[in-house]
Amino acid sequence: MSKRKSKDDSLSIGECISLVQKILRERICCQKSNGKPFGVEMQQKHLLELLKRTVVHGESNSVLIIGPRGFGKTMLLNSVLTELLGMKHIKGNVLIVQLNGLLQTDDRIALKEITRQLNLENVIGERVFGSFAENLAFLLEALKKGDRNSSRSVLFILDEFDLFAHHKNQTLLYNLFDISQSAQTPIAVVGLTCRLDVLELLEKRVKSRFSHRQIHLLTSCDFKQYVIMFQQQLLLPEDFPDKSFAEEWNQNIRFLSRDASVEEILKKHFFLSKDFRSLHLLLMRVLCRVTVSNKTIKPADLIEASHLCTMDSKANILHGLSVLELCLIIAMKHLNDVYDGEPFNFQMVYNEFQKFVQRKAHSVYNYEKPVVIKAFEHLHQLELVKPMDGPSVRIQKEYQLVKLLLDNSQIMEALQRYPQCPTDVKQWAASAFA
Amino acid sequence: MPDQTPFPTYMKDVLLRLKKQLPCRDNEVSMLLSLFGEPQHYSYPSILIYGHRATGKTFVTQTVLQELKLPHAFVSMVECFTPRLLFQQILSQLSSLYPSLDEEFHCETLNDFIRIFRQLSTSNVLDQQTVYIVIDQAEVLRDMDANLLPGFLRLQELVGGNITVIFLTEIVWEKFRPNTGCLEPILFYFPDYTKAELQQILCKDRHPEFSDDLYATYINILLGVFYAVCRDLCELRHLAALNFSKFCEPLLKGEVRESDTHKLWRSIEPHLRKAMQTVYLREVSSLQWEMMQDTKEETGYLKGLSAYTHVDLPYYSKFLLIAAYLASFNPARTDKRFFLKHHGKMKKVTFLKKHEKTSNHLLGPKPFPLDRLLAIFYSIVDSRVASTANIFSQISSLVTLQLLTLVGHSDQLDSPKYKCTVSMDFICAIARTVNFDIVRYLYDFL
Amino acid sequence: MTTSSVSKGCFVFKPASKKQRILSAGDYFHDEDEESASSKLRFETLQSLWQQIKLETDSIQEELNKNILDSLAEFARTSTTFFRSKTDEWTFRMRSSEIPTAALVLGVNVTDHNMTFQNLSELLHQSVTPYVVGLDAKDCPSLKHTVQKVLLQLMGYHLSVEEDEEEPQPKANISGIPKKRIQCSIATLCEWYQTVTKDSNGLSPSKKRKSTLGKFGQNPPIVVIFKDLESFTSKVLQEFIIICSQYIHQLPFIFIFGIATSPATVHRMLPHSVSSHLCIELFQSLSCTKHLATVMDKLILTTSFPFKLNGKTLQVLLSIFLFHDFSVRNFIKGLQLSLMEHFYNQPLSVLCCDKHKASKRAQVLSSEECENVRQLPSFMRYVENQEPDEQVKLLTDDHHLKEVVQQLLKQLHLYHKNYYPVLRCLHILTSSLPKYPLGKQIRELHSMCLERNVWETEEYKSAFQLLRLMAKDELLTGFNKCLEILTYGKGKVINEVQEKLETFVKLFQELDNISLDYKEDDGEDTSPQKGFQQKTDLFHLQKTLLEMKELKKNKKLTKFEMLRLEAIDFIDHIVKKHLLPPEYLALHEVVYYSCSGTLRKHLNAAPRTAIQTALNNPYKYLPNESLQSDGGAISSTAPDICIAYKLHLECGRLINLYDWLEAFGTVVSATEGNDTESPVIDDVKHARFIRAVSELEFVGFVKPTKKKTDHVARLTWGGC
Repeated sequence: MSKRKSKDDSLSIGECISLVQKILRERICCQKSNGKPFGVEMQQKHLLELLKRTVVHGESNSVLIIGPRGFGKTMLLNSVLTELLGMKHIKGNVLIVQLNGLLQTDDRIALKEITRQLNLENVIGERVFGSFAENLAFLLEALKKGDRNSSRSVLFILDEFDLFAHHKNQTLLYNLFDISQSAQTPIAVVGLTCRLDVLELLEKRVKSRFSHRQIHLLTSCDFKQYVIMFQQQLLLPEDFPDKSFAEEWNQNIRFLSRDASVEEILKKHFFLSKDFRSLHLLLMRVLCRVTVSNKTIKPADLIEASHLCTMDSKANILHGLSVLELCLIIAMKHLNDVYDGEPFNFQMVYNEFQKFVQRKAHSVYNYEKPVVIKAFEHLHQLELVKPMDGPSVRIQKEYQLVKLLLDNSQIMEALQRYPQCPTDVKQWAASAFA
Repeated sequence: MPDQTPFPTYMKDVLLRLKKQLPCRDNEVSMLLSLFGEPQHYSYPSILIYGHRATGKTFVTQTVLQELKLPHAFVSMVECFTPRLLFQQILSQLSSLYPSLDEEFHCETLNDFIRIFRQLSTSNVLDQQTVYIVIDQAEVLRDMDANLLPGFLRLQELVGGNITVIFLTEIVWEKFRPNTGCLEPILFYFPDYTKAELQQILCKDRHPEFSDDLYATYINILLGVFYAVCRDLCELRHLAALNFSKFCEPLLKGEVRESDTHKLWRSIEPHLRKAMQTVYLREVSSLQWEMMQDTKEETGYLKGLSAYTHVDLPYYSKFLLIAAYLASFNPARTDKRFFLKHHGKMKKVTFLKKHEKTSNHLLGPKPFPLDRLLAIFYSIVDSRVASTANIFSQISSLVTLQLLTLVGHSDQLDSPKYKCTVSMDFICAIARTVNFDIVRYLYDFL
Repeated sequence: MTTSSVSKGCFVFKPASKKQRILSAGDYFHDEDEESASSKLRFETLQSLWQQIKLETDSIQEELNKNILDSLAEFARTSTTFFRSKTDEWTFRMRSSEIPTAALVLGVNVTDHNMTFQNLSELLHQSVTPYVVGLDAKDCPSLKHTVQKVLLQLMGYHLSVEEDEEEPQPKANISGIPKKRIQCSIATLCEWYQTVTKDSNGLSPSKKRKSTLGKFGQNPPIVVIFKDLESFTSKVLQEFIIICSQYIHQLPFIFIFGIATSPATVHRMLPHSVSSHLCIELFQSLSCTKHLATVMDKLILTTSFPFKLNGKTLQVLLSIFLFHDFSVRNFIKGLQLSLMEHFYNQPLSVLCCDKHKASKRAQVLSSEECENVRQLPSFMRYVENQEPDEQVKLLTDDHHLKEVVQQLLKQLHLYHKNYYPVLRCLHILTSSLPKYPLGKQIRELHSMCLERNVWETEEYKSAFQLLRLMAKDELLTGFNKCLEILTYGKGKVINEVQEKLETFVKLFQELDNISLDYKEDDGEDTSPQKGFQQKTDLFHLQKTLLEMKELKKNKKLTKFEMLRLEAIDFIDHIVKKHLLPPEYLALHEVVYYSCSGTLRKHLNAAPRTAIQTALNNPYKYLPNESLQSDGGAISSTAPDICIAYKLHLECGRLINLYDWLEAFGTVVSATEGNDTESPVIDDVKHARFIRAVSELEFVGFVKPTKKKTDHVARLTWGGC
C-alpha cells in the first residue's frame, strides 16, 4: 500500500499517524530496523574482522560477546552479519547456524537443530541415530570432510551462551571449540552472554580450547549520547511519504529533546540504566499516547509514561488489600520492629492484632479467627509474605514461619494512598511499638 | 482519553460495545487497545498484566481480543501442568487460524514449539496481523522449566514473527524475574475496583422483581459489612445472591416499606454478620444456607463444618495424643518437674525463667523423639499398659490421621521424631473425655 | 484388606482371603488327629457356623451403612438436578458456580472405610451415575498422577461399556486411548464426556435402551471420591479443584471427601480462594461404638449361635476394640479366630451346635471322647455332687454317660435361652439409674455376669437399693419394656416370668385407682418420689434413702411400697435364678471358648517382651533340657546371644566391648570345664561374640556410639 501512497506525498492525518506508529513500533518492539548500534563502532569492526577472516581466509575462530542485557549484543551481531553478507564475494560460501540456549536445552536437541540448519536432513535421510554419539560423529564427519580453503565456512552463533555451559559435560561446546582449534572446515563460534563470569562455567578442557577472545559491550555513553539515542529512536526517516508531516514531526522531536522536563526524566532513566531496552519501554508507552487526537509527542506524555514505568507494583498490590489484610500487614511490621527481622508465624501476628483490637473499645475489627486466617492465606498467595521452609513439610498453617517481603516505607506509603483508611489503623501503624 | 476516534481502525460500535460490556474499566481497555496498536502493526513482545483477583484481568483481555477478532490463543496455566500440554493447547487453538497447520504436530520442547511456530508465521495467511498468546495464572510458569518464562518473554524475537505474549497474574513482576535477567515486559496494573465502582457493578445485575434503588440500598448494606474483609467481586456477588431473599423477607411480609432503609438494615445486618462466618468461610454450603432461609429456621441450628471438632479416638490413642501434645509444647527439661513424684527444688528456677521467654503456644509445637513420647505416655496413663504392637501401631495411625506428623524423612527407622499438630481446644476436649486435667501439665499455663 | 493397612496402624494383619485359610486349616485338622471322623465333623461345623456368622455380619453392615449411603446417593442425584434445573433463576445466575461436595466423616478406624467406599461406589454405579472415580492419596503424589488416575478410571470404564454393546465407531477412538498416551488433561476428559453423553442419549434409542447410560438421565455426574482426605497433599488437591471448577459447566463434577478425623480439616487444607469453589455438605456415619453395640447384640447376646465366649476372652476382644482400634472388622476377625481356636483345640466342640444336632452327636460319642468328657473339670464337679453309685455309673458306663451328657446339653441350651432375656430386662431396669451402677452398655453387664455372681457385687446391691426407691411411673415403663422383650423369648420359664410381671404391672395400675381414696398415704408415698424425681446426684439419693429408712422405722409401708418391694425382690430372685455365670454349669467348656491368653497373644502381640523372654530363658522357645536355667545363673549352654544379653544387663549405659568379651569368654569356656581365671579367647569364641553382639544390635538392644572408643551404648533400662 505504501507504494501507492508514495506517489502523492500528502496523506490524510490518520494514515500518517498509523504509518508513524508502524515505523516506530517496528523500531522499538523488534530491533530489526535501523540496526545502527550506538557507540560500539570499534567492537563492531573487531568482530567484523574476525568473521571476515573466517569466511575469506578460512581461519577458524571463537569469540564471546559479553554485555548486560539490553545493551545491543544481538543488534551488534546482526548489523555485522548483514554487513558481512552484503559483501558479494563472501555471499554464498558461508553457512550460519543460530542456536539459543533457551531453545536447545540439551545437546541432543542442539544437534538436531544444527543438522536441520545445515540442511543435512536429506543426507541423513531415514537413518536414525541410536545414540547421541553417533549423531555427533556423523555431524563431525560432515564438518571434517572439507579442508580449510576448499569448503564453505560455518558460523555458529550461540545466544545465551552460558546456558550451553550447563549441558551435560559440555559435549557440544567441547566439540565446537575443538574443531575451531584444528584445521578442518573453517568455523567461527560466536557466543553471546550477559554473564561476565561465563569463563568460570567452562570445564578446563573446554576452556583450554577456547581462544580467549572476548568483546565487552559495556557502553560508557554519557548523557549527551543518551539524548541523541533518544532522538534517533523517534526521528522519522527521510523516505517518509508525507514530507511535510515528517518535517513537522522531526522538528517536534528535536524540540522535545531540548525541553527541560523531558531532560529531567531522561536523566532519571539514564541514571537508572543506560541500556536500550529500558529506553524502549519508556518510548513504547509514549508512542501509545500518539493518536489522531494528539498527533505530536508532548512533554506531558513523556512524564506520564515515565510515571507509569517507575510505578511501584507492590504498592499497587497493597492498595488493593482489604482493611483486615492491611491490619495484618501492620501487625507484621510491628513484629519486624520488635524482633528485628526474625521470621514469625501467624499465631504471633494474630496475637499482635488482638492486642490492637482490644485496645480499641468499639470492636469493628474483631473477626473470627478463621476469617483472619483466610486473610493471612491471601497475603500468602500474593507472596507478600514468604514461608521460610518449603511447602513439603506438613505443619499447621498457624505455626509456619514466614517473613514479610515489604519494608516499612512501602507500608506507610501504601497507608497514605489507601482509600478511606480508618484513622486508628493509621495511628496504630505509626505508633513505634504495638 | 477522549473518545473521538482514538483507534481509527476499529469500528465505533465495537468500542461502545466494549465500553458497555466492561463497566468501570474504560481506562484499562483504552490502554490495552493503544498497546495493541493496529492489527498489522507490531506490538511490544510481552505484556504483563497484574492485579488482584476479580479485577477483570482475564475478562477484559478476552473480551477485547474476541470483540476485535484479533488472532489469539488463551491458555490457563493451572491446567497445563506440563510444558507439553501448554504447547499443545496453544498450537491447537492457533490451528484454527492457520489452515496449513496439521493436527499431527507433537512438540515436547520449546525448540519444537518455536520451529512449528516459525513455519506458521512464514505461511503468511493473516497478512502480518499480530498474534496474541494470553497466558493466565502466569505465576505457575516460574515453577516449570527454567527456559519457559524467558522464552515466552522474547517469543517475538525467537520466532521472528509478529507475536505478543500477554501474561495475567496476581503476583508482582519482581517475583518473576529470573536471576540472570530476561527481556522486561511492559507492566500493566489493573487497579482494584473502588467501593463506588463495586456498588455500580453489583447494582447492574439487580433482581428483576425489585426496584433499582431498593437493590442499591441492599448492596450498600452488604458492602458495609463485607467490604472490610473481602473485595472480591465474584465473592460479593455470590453473597449478594444468597442473602437477598432474606433481605426481602420483611418487605414481602409487609412489615417494612421499601423507603424505610434503617429498619431493613437492622433486620438484615446480623444475618449478614452470620453469613461472614458461615457462607464466606464455606462453613455451610450455599444450598443449605438458602434452604435455611426458606424454612425461616433460627440461624443457630445450622452448625458449620468446624463446629464438629469432636473426634472420638480409642482410649489409648487419646492418651498418646495428649502425651504427644505435652511433649511438643513443654520444654524437655521440665518433664522431670511434671512427671516425677519428687522433683526436687528446680520448680522455683523454672518459674523464674519462664516469664521472660515467649510462650510455646506462640512458637508452635516442637519435635520430640519417640521414647520421650512413650515415657510421658506411660506416666500419664493411669493403668498399667503392656507395650504391645498395637500401641506402636497406634502412633503410626495417628500420623496417617495427620494428628501427629513425622518430622524428617519417614525412612529413618531409629529414633523417629514427631510433632503434634492439634489445636489447644481440640486437645482439651480430648482430655476432658478421659477426665485428665491437661492444663495442669502445660508449662505455659503455670 | 491390603498390606497398606498394616502401615496404617492398629490392625493385626491376617491373610487376605479366608477361603484358602480355612481350607488349609481343614487339612491341618485332618493331619492333626487320628480319628479324622470327628475332626472332619468339627471342621464342617466350624465352617457352617462361620458362614452363618459371616452372613449375619454382612447383613448388619449393610443395614447400618444403608441410610448414610442412601443419603449420599440422594445428595448426588439432587445436586446434579438442582445445578441443572435452576440455571434460569436469578439467584443461580448470580452465584458463582460451585462444585457440590459431600464431606463424609467416617471415624478413625481407617481400615473399615474401604468396605464403606466399595459399597458406596457400587451404589452410585447402580443408581446415580456410571462415572465414579475413587482416589487414594498414596497414588496421587502429584497433580499429573491424579489427573491420569481419573482419566484412566473413567475412560477405562467407558471402554468396557462400549465393548459389551458392539459399536465400531466409538471403539476406534476409544481403543486409541490407553495405547498412544493422549495428553492427560481435563480438556480431553471434557471432549470424551461430550462424545459419550452424546452418542449415549443420541440417535438410536432402541440400542440405547440397553446401553448403560440409558437410565441415568441426560448427562450423569462424574463423582470423584477422595478416600482419605487427610493424607492428600493440599497443593495437589487445590490445583485439582481449581481445574475442575473451571470445567464445571461442561463436566458435572461431584466430590466426596472421606474424612477420618473432623470436617475442620477441609479448612486446614484449602485456602479460601479454593474452598470458595466448593459447596460442601456434611454427612456423618454412625459412631463405631454404636456399630459395635449392634454387632454384640446380633452375634454375642443371642441364642442363635451355639458358640460362646467366656468373660476373659470377651474382655480381650472388647479391650482391643475400645483401647486400641475402633475397628469392628477386627472385632469380628477376633471372633473368627477364637471360633477356630475353639474348634481346633477342644475335641468336644463337636457338640457345639444347635440342640437337636448336639443330642444326636452326643449319642454317637466315641469312647475316647467319653473319656474327654470325663476329664472336663466342670463334669468332674458335676460327678462329685452325685450319689456314689451314680458316680460309678458315670465314670464307667459310656451309655449312661451319653444319656447324662444329652441332659446336660439340654440344660445348657435352656440356660442360654433364659439368660439373655433376663439379662436384657435387668439392663433395662438398671441402665436408667443414676451413675449407672451396672454399666451403661449391656455389654458391661454381660461381662459382669460372665465373671461372677452378679448379685454378690457391690454395684448390684446399690443398684437394687436405687430400684427399691424408684418412682412408680418409671418402674412401670421399665416393666413394660421388659415385657416387650420377654414376648420375644420362648420357653415356659420366660412365660412364667412374663405373666408374673404382667400381674405386677396390673397391680401397680390398680394401685393408683385405689390410692385416689387413700389420700393420706398418697401424700406420704409421693414424698419419696418427689425426692427421687430429679435423680441427679448419688449423694442426694443417699440422703433420701436415709430419710426413707427412718420413715420405715416409725411408720408402716404404704401399699405402693410393699408392692414395689415385692416386685423388685421378684426381679432379684429371677436374676439369681438365671444369671449365674456359666462356669457353674456342667459341660460349659463345650460351647465356651475360654483360653484368653492365646487370643491376646495373637491379637495383641507384645514383640519386645517376647524377645526378652526368649533371651532370658531360651527354654521357653527351645525345649532343650539343658537350657532350663535356674534364676540368675547364666548357663553356658545357652545360645551366644542369650549369654551376651544376660551379661550386658549387668553393665551401665556404656559397655566396654573388651570387658564384655572377657566375661563372654569365661562363661562360654565354663563348659570346657577348664577353670583358668584368664580364659583363652580363641578366634572362634571371638567370632561368636562378635556375632552375638551384632545380633543384639540388630534386635536393637545396643548401638555403636562415638562417645567412647570400643564402647557400645546400651538401649535398655534396668538390669538384674
